[in-house]
Amino acid sequence: MSLFGTASSFGTGGTGVFGTTTTDSHNPMKDVEVTSPPDDSISCLAFSPPTMPGNFLIAGSWANDVRCWEVQDNGQTVPKAQQMHTGPVLDVCWSDDGSKVFTASCDKTAKMWDLNSNQAMQIAQHDGPIKAIHWIKAPNYSCVMTGSWDKTLKFWDTRSPTPMMSLQMPERCYCADVVYPMAVVATAERGLIVYQLENQPSEFRRIDSPLKHQHRCVAIFKDKQNKPTGFALGSIEGRVSAFILFLFISRDHVDLIVNAIAFHPVHGTLATVGSDGRFSFWDKDARTKLKTSEQLDQPITACCFNHNGNIFAYASSYDWSKGHEYYNPQKKNYIFLRNAAEELKPRNKKW
Amino acid sequence: MVVCNFFLQGRCRYGERCWNEHPRGGGRGGGGGGGQQHSRGEGGFGNRVWVNPSQQKGGSYIQPSYFPSQGRNSWGGGGGGGGSGDGGGRRDNVKSSDFSFSTQNRFASLDASKSFADRGGRGGTAAEDDDSKKLEMIQMDMDVWESSGQWGFSCYSIAKLPLSGFPDLSPEELRLEYYSKSASGDLQTYMNGVNQLLSQWKSRIQELKSMNPNTRAALLAELNGAGPQGSSGGFGGPPEFGSVTSGFGSKDFGSPAPAQTGSFGFPEKRPEFGFTSAPVFGAPFGSSTPQTPSGFGAPAQPSASTFSFASSSTNKPAGSSGFGSASGFSFSSAGSSTGGFGNAGAAAAPAFPQTSGGFGATPGSEAQSGSLFSSESQLTPEELDQFKAKRFTLGQIPLKPPPENLLVLR
Repeated sequence: MSLFGTASSFGTGGTGVFGTTTTDSHNPMKDVEVTSPPDDSISCLAFSPPTMPGNFLIAGSWANDVRCWEVQDNGQTVPKAQQMHTGPVLDVCWSDDGSKVFTASCDKTAKMWDLNSNQAMQIAQHDGPIKAIHWIKAPNYSCVMTGSWDKTLKFWDTRSPTPMMSLQMPERCYCADVVYPMAVVATAERGLIVYQLENQPSEFRRIDSPLKHQHRCVAIFKDKQNKPTGFALGSIEGRVSAFILFLFISRDHVDLIVNAIAFHPVHGTLATVGSDGRFSFWDKDARTKLKTSEQLDQPITACCFNHNGNIFAYASSYDWSKGHEYYNPQKKNYIFLRNAAEELKPRNKKW
Repeated sequence: MVVCNFFLQGRCRYGERCWNEHPRGGGRGGGGGGGQQHSRGEGGFGNRVWVNPSQQKGGSYIQPSYFPSQGRNSWGGGGGGGGSGDGGGRRDNVKSSDFSFSTQNRFASLDASKSFADRGGRGGTAAEDDDSKKLEMIQMDMDVWESSGQWGFSCYSIAKLPLSGFPDLSPEELRLEYYSKSASGDLQTYMNGVNQLLSQWKSRIQELKSMNPNTRAALLAELNGAGPQGSSGGFGGPPEFGSVTSGFGSKDFGSPAPAQTGSFGFPEKRPEFGFTSAPVFGAPFGSSTPQTPSGFGAPAQPSASTFSFASSSTNKPAGSSGFGSASGFSFSSAGSSTGGFGNAGAAAAPAFPQTSGGFGATPGSEAQSGSLFSSESQLTPEELDQFKAKRFTLGQIPLKPPPENLLVLR
């Protein structure tokens, strides 16, 4: 892995590199920097849903905390609140009405954070760290779905300490995404399972992964009617393949490891971020790359779009892709915001 | 421009239209045996080649003089290794020596003789061609994987099932391990575990790259049959693979170690390996003198940081004979006393779930004191059952070695 060290600007031990290099590459894209970023690597980002006025950004980090900022229209970010877990936070999500945030952590619990009262209470328990958490809003039920390294997928009604349902997976959950009525979970050992969520969650199909290596991230994309039509799967080999109704196109990616994928809610184009410190925008239908950023000096660990697609947030922090010796706890972590309205327009056709 | 990974593996669907760079003639003359390694058919073009060897033309057949541009000092060792064992339908290699590709010629005779020898043994049917292609793809993938500096702790597969010997471990899991270990002040365990995983990975890659007949046979069996290889229930005996988890062959073992609850419980048991307990493990983390990186072509990283996958110094359990030595190939010689137990190193891995999910669980302290096998009296009935069963059940894999009489050697 350190082969990579020849190319990149980071990874040379890290200590004292920050700010002392001739070109400070922590923000080569000159994007807006979020104030008071977390003290350790950021594992996940989530923007508030459209039901809430304004834009609020939530970030979970390896410093065991979850922070909330208000993102104002002029790009200013105002830190609003923070909650703690007893272990690193791996995933966050919003409820559909924007009043609650769900946070999943390595301490094997998931919490529901009521933003109005700034109270957080535990709503889920697993036998292992919870890697993925999503809110499901179905016509006849709503619940929180948690996927964990204990190989189970559990669904929680937030009022009860026992899960509504628990589904067994073949392996540890590595990533998941939910767009009602479809949920996709990617597990270790290249497992890929699609669930259907109507009436109640059930396993729909297991898919053979087209990728050869470990799955890293998955994101569902929608058509114009906001119905899920397929999903994109990223792996550690730096490849992202998109399934459209089980037909897939595989697109090579320059990143070393694809850490996260996010779909633009309006244009349907996608963004991928990776451990080489770059983000890229792609048009999956035209199979073209719309843009690649300059290289940041740290890997980019998480990304997301706000609800109308105007803002693209990405987090620059160490993703452990090269093991612990490249981990520098002193190095500052960043979250950047970028205006995404224009750059992500599909190349050929309107989505 | 970015070098196209797919092209390197011989399966770029865009061909000329591809946005990425397809290096051609990059190392034609130089770089040692690299070319010959790749002269095996590429997956995509392979079809054409196999069916009509007579149609091979120098130009259209994309000669893999393209090996990746990273320095590959492994070729010294790996190239020779690669030449061997790629039998079965290698007839085109003989032909390709007709085309005067300098890199190929050097090894063409080597290949030719090998191929014929192997072919004699195998009978070259169409099915085997298919298999050979798969195996080549595996080899190439190993190359790319090794040299690309990607995350190493990942499963790998070219067919439906993951290939054995590659435990799937995400960066987050490893990081969590690190955090918890450093919180408890026990970083050494973490390092050891990481080192061990590293060495396992490296040796497995080496094995697959060099593809000796044993590996090959086992791989094919796995690809086609996915049954437990060789030692049915015999534990640790199988000279076949020698690769760490794959001794069991069954794909259950593809998904090893950190199965439950994400805790690895890095191996601290089995003193006979001599590499588990920290002191014997020798190389204090990161400070071991850099041996020539055996094949990762990572010239820039002399200071043996474990995760670089570069330095073989990590697997330097000075005490234990032959296990995980730099060449990574000691396994196949099951002769070495603890070498045969190289497999069990992995068994220790899958056994983690047993250790109550505790991190760095204390040494199992079944003082085997160097004997390779346990006598039946030493095993509990459950363990005996496990050994007798066709396959191990994850979570119940015995920590002790099997009784000798249960070993089925191929």
